[in-house]
Amino acid sequence: MTTTQETRWIGVSAPRREDAPLIRGRGRYIADIEPAGTVHMAILRSPYAHARINGIDTAAAEALDGVYCVLTAADLEGIGDFPTIWRLPGQKESNTPALAPGKARYVGEPVAAVVADSRYMAEDALDLLDVDYEILDHVVDVEAALADGAPVINEDLGDNTIIEYTFPGINALGVAGDIDGAFEEADEIVSGRFKVGRYSGVALETRGLVAEWDDLRQTLTLHSGSQVASLLRTELAAALGIPETSVRILTPNIGGAFGNQWDRYPEDILVSLASMKLGRPVKWIEDRREALQATVHGREQLQEWQLAASSDGTVLGLKGRVLSDQGAHLHSVGIGPAWVTGAAAVNQYKIANYHCDVVGVATNKTPNSTFRGFGGPEAMFGIERMMDKTARRLGIDPAELRRRNMIQADEFPYFSPGGAVYDSGNYPAALAKALEAVEYDKVREEQQSLREQGVYRGIGIASYIHVSGFGPSAILGILDYYTGGYEGSTVKIDPHGRATLYTGMIPMGQGTETTLAQVAADQLEIDIANVRVVWGDTDQTPYTGFGSAGSRSNVAAVAVIKAIEEIKAKAVRIGAGLLEADPDDVAYADGRISVKGAEEMRSLTLADVAQQAYWAHKLPEGEQPTLEATYVYDPANFTTACGTHVAVVDVDIDTGKIDWVKYVVVDDAGTIINPLLVEGQIQGALSNGLGGAMLEEFVYDEETGQLLSSTLMDYLVPSFTDLPDFEIHHLVTPSPHTEGGFKGMGEAGCFPAAPALANAVADALSHLGVEVDQTPVTPSRLWSLIDQAGG
Amino acid sequence: MKPAVFDYSAPESIAETVDLLAEHGSGAKVLAGGQSLVPMLNFRLARPAHLIDVNGVDELSYISANGALRIGSMTRLTALGESGDVARAHPIIPAAVAQIGHRAIRNRGTIGGSLAHNDPAAELPAVLMALDAEVTARSADGERVVGMQELIEDRLFETTLGDTELLTEIRIPAAAAGSSFGFREFARRHGDFALAGVAAVITTDGSTITQAALAAFGGTHATRLPTAEAALVGAETGDAAFAAAGAGAAADFPSTSDVHGTADYRSHLINVLTVRALQDAAGNSGGGNG
Repeated sequence: MTTTQETRWIGVSAPRREDAPLIRGRGRYIADIEPAGTVHMAILRSPYAHARINGIDTAAAEALDGVYCVLTAADLEGIGDFPTIWRLPGQKESNTPALAPGKARYVGEPVAAVVADSRYMAEDALDLLDVDYEILDHVVDVEAALADGAPVINEDLGDNTIIEYTFPGINALGVAGDIDGAFEEADEIVSGRFKVGRYSGVALETRGLVAEWDDLRQTLTLHSGSQVASLLRTELAAALGIPETSVRILTPNIGGAFGNQWDRYPEDILVSLASMKLGRPVKWIEDRREALQATVHGREQLQEWQLAASSDGTVLGLKGRVLSDQGAHLHSVGIGPAWVTGAAAVNQYKIANYHCDVVGVATNKTPNSTFRGFGGPEAMFGIERMMDKTARRLGIDPAELRRRNMIQADEFPYFSPGGAVYDSGNYPAALAKALEAVEYDKVREEQQSLREQGVYRGIGIASYIHVSGFGPSAILGILDYYTGGYEGSTVKIDPHGRATLYTGMIPMGQGTETTLAQVAADQLEIDIANVRVVWGDTDQTPYTGFGSAGSRSNVAAVAVIKAIEEIKAKAVRIGAGLLEADPDDVAYADGRISVKGAEEMRSLTLADVAQQAYWAHKLPEGEQPTLEATYVYDPANFTTACGTHVAVVDVDIDTGKIDWVKYVVVDDAGTIINPLLVEGQIQGALSNGLGGAMLEEFVYDEETGQLLSSTLMDYLVPSFTDLPDFEIHHLVTPSPHTEGGFKGMGEAGCFPAAPALANAVADALSHLGVEVDQTPVTPSRLWSLIDQAGG
Repeated sequence: MKPAVFDYSAPESIAETVDLLAEHGSGAKVLAGGQSLVPMLNFRLARPAHLIDVNGVDELSYISANGALRIGSMTRLTALGESGDVARAHPIIPAAVAQIGHRAIRNRGTIGGSLAHNDPAAELPAVLMALDAEVTARSADGERVVGMQELIEDRLFETTLGDTELLTEIRIPAAAAGSSFGFREFARRHGDFALAGVAAVITTDGSTITQAALAAFGGTHATRLPTAEAALVGAETGDAAFAAAGAGAAADFPSTSDVHGTADYRSHLINVLTVRALQDAAGNSGGGNG
């Protein structure tokens, strides 16, 4: 008989089962898929930020040897485009077209597509497409886009304001407060203006697609790296006007998704349509330049905040205006990320009086949409910089100011004026643990003595919340978010007692296959080697409407637990019959079905019962043969991961270079399924966050509207040599809402990274009064601030 | 990102190569290590009708230290950086090579390719300028010797070599007795093209600077820094002379702006890096990034 030690898997650092094939070169990515007869697509993209397309002469391209077809907007008659999933009230809708219809609105927008024998030939044909562009005035700055007389990106919308949304909003539960009163009462009013830079996932593997239309069976198989395959299936079928039952999405290994792969893209339609026209497999692999221009960007916001404080450091009120640079089209989630910024900006603090206007603004830039963190990191940048500015103004230590305003451990559930209900946490404890780990008092003392030696050391604190585990579907409905928030799981026990688990989640680096196998093995109390996880095929796996899987293990894990509860109950019923006992006297434990109190004598293995379930010779009356169950779990509430990070840096005031001294993380993601994977996710998300804090930026030229950072020599992704050693600690406050107490944590690391860095740099330069209010904090920008401050 | 159509030749000798260049002229492009040209081909920024791949021309790959240092143009950067002969003759070269790209790039990239491509942010054109190097250029008509400054002038992404000339050798005169060097560059990440960098070689008679050769990169083109050099020659080594040289270097530097930094910032960096390179030279401590 196995022992409990070997059958409980939650909390174990099981090695990633995904790793062996990936590390040993047996991963299979889109580029590896090439069915017989495949032809290749290349896409002509607008070289202009804003230009009318008066005509496209395709004759020379079509005449080139090896070219099969050219698609322009004229060929898309009767083809739909992908709707915005999140349609907030008042949001003017403008879907992203598959090919620019009469007007190109950003550099990189698809204008035409060519299919040829090879990618080389297809690109030769692109050279021969003659587009009659009429160049229009462009705008790549949000304030300029809102000014009178600005070029209008989408004439159908009237102007460039997509939406103005005011918090407290639709689900604020009556905690609007009295914002004017708070500011009248304040001893100090602190202001800040923040530019959160535009950057994105920039995955190692660019996007790619292979579409296979079978004209005899009338089926379309699309190989895609989408992280939400079932939603892509639904929407693609609708756009193409074919039954959803005809569409199968297969997902191979994904070399990074980071939210960018949550969105639906024009190319999904273009390769499918081309395959349907030609009756051949059509393949498109995004090249790096396309990936930087045409995979969605993220983050970019201009924020203005005012904070009302009393002289003892109590934050009385917060009001702000967030201008979100949406780019040229609303993509799959509309202004969703900016909405989340407004919802999350009060962070861990008891700020009773809150007001925030979120404005979605159209510009001639790549659409700004889903990206790891989804508005949260932007919110943390504003509020955490504001807390440091306030601390400095009031002469209170920034750690102390935070401590005085934090929601206390006994105040949950906490109804935030941003609209979210925080489920649980212990914010002061996380702060205290972070300060202890970084040896805060000692570092502060050293800071003084080092400064006398010309070493400018700074300490930056950033606390955060990450609302994850989206979400109860009914709440998504209230938010006009047109998909469900559930995850389904099917578990089948085979006749030998091993489990196969089918999930709609897509593993994209976060270890879904391993963690779900752990949960299943733990609940069945069997060896993890006896659990197989099946994913990546819409013909086999349950529907998921959400799939932002970095933060979804918590929801999917509950679906697994619930499905296995049903299996165990059935195993007990069948087992009771075999053991000739009353089902009430039989229990499932240690992977066995046993009569209570007689476990040594009257006991069956799961395999014994499973075999009987398949033979079905002696099933209880009314019991169905086989041993499987499906459960679709719709979460009862969001979960709120939280924590505090502390960055310690040295700034070279002659060059603006930032050197890492230390980086301490205290995270609280509730019950941890796999500590090894959690640590990896924290490191990855932090690298992602610090990348945007220091290096990564999509820069547009005001004069020409061109994307200047369109190669990886201009858009700088961090490598490990650019990052500090992360010292990671955990608190565990299980979520009271979810079975198992799990919270999502795959994105959390990117939330506090940028404000921790900016606060540290500003702290290092406090003698000069330098404020670091723009990301990324590049050496050139930082030196310019130092220079202006007379340093 | 696939190149346009081109014809391809893979000659095995210098003579064969210069004949091909004579035949194809401006339509031809020489492929050395390919670390810059291949991306340009893939972006279709370069569309040569004919690509002449000299990776099989073994006679272009050598390092000879008899008298002046002579280096074949196809010598890989890794070989250059690891050569004992080069390190003994001019230790600034391995210090600079260590800052070029990453190992994989250095394994493939060549000294001649770097000079012929003449990226204004590349280390070697400036370093070789500071060392008063010369290059030999061969064509079907013969051979000529060109000084580094004459090769580069104020050009970027091209040199004064003609369409039918092949850069074959780099010759570097022996260092003066008692010379020391400093090499500093500033890149946002290790291995990136530098925003600015300075190569400095100075000779002292104990306390007075008798010779100074400084060159900068990261602006619009690689350049010597004559104002900085003038501020140093005849001056006592030390903070005052170095500060004057830094200011002079900033004045000489043809600065430029891009996504990584403004022209003002780059000029300021040249000042700071010049001072640090000179401190390194005075302290015989080499150099690095920052």
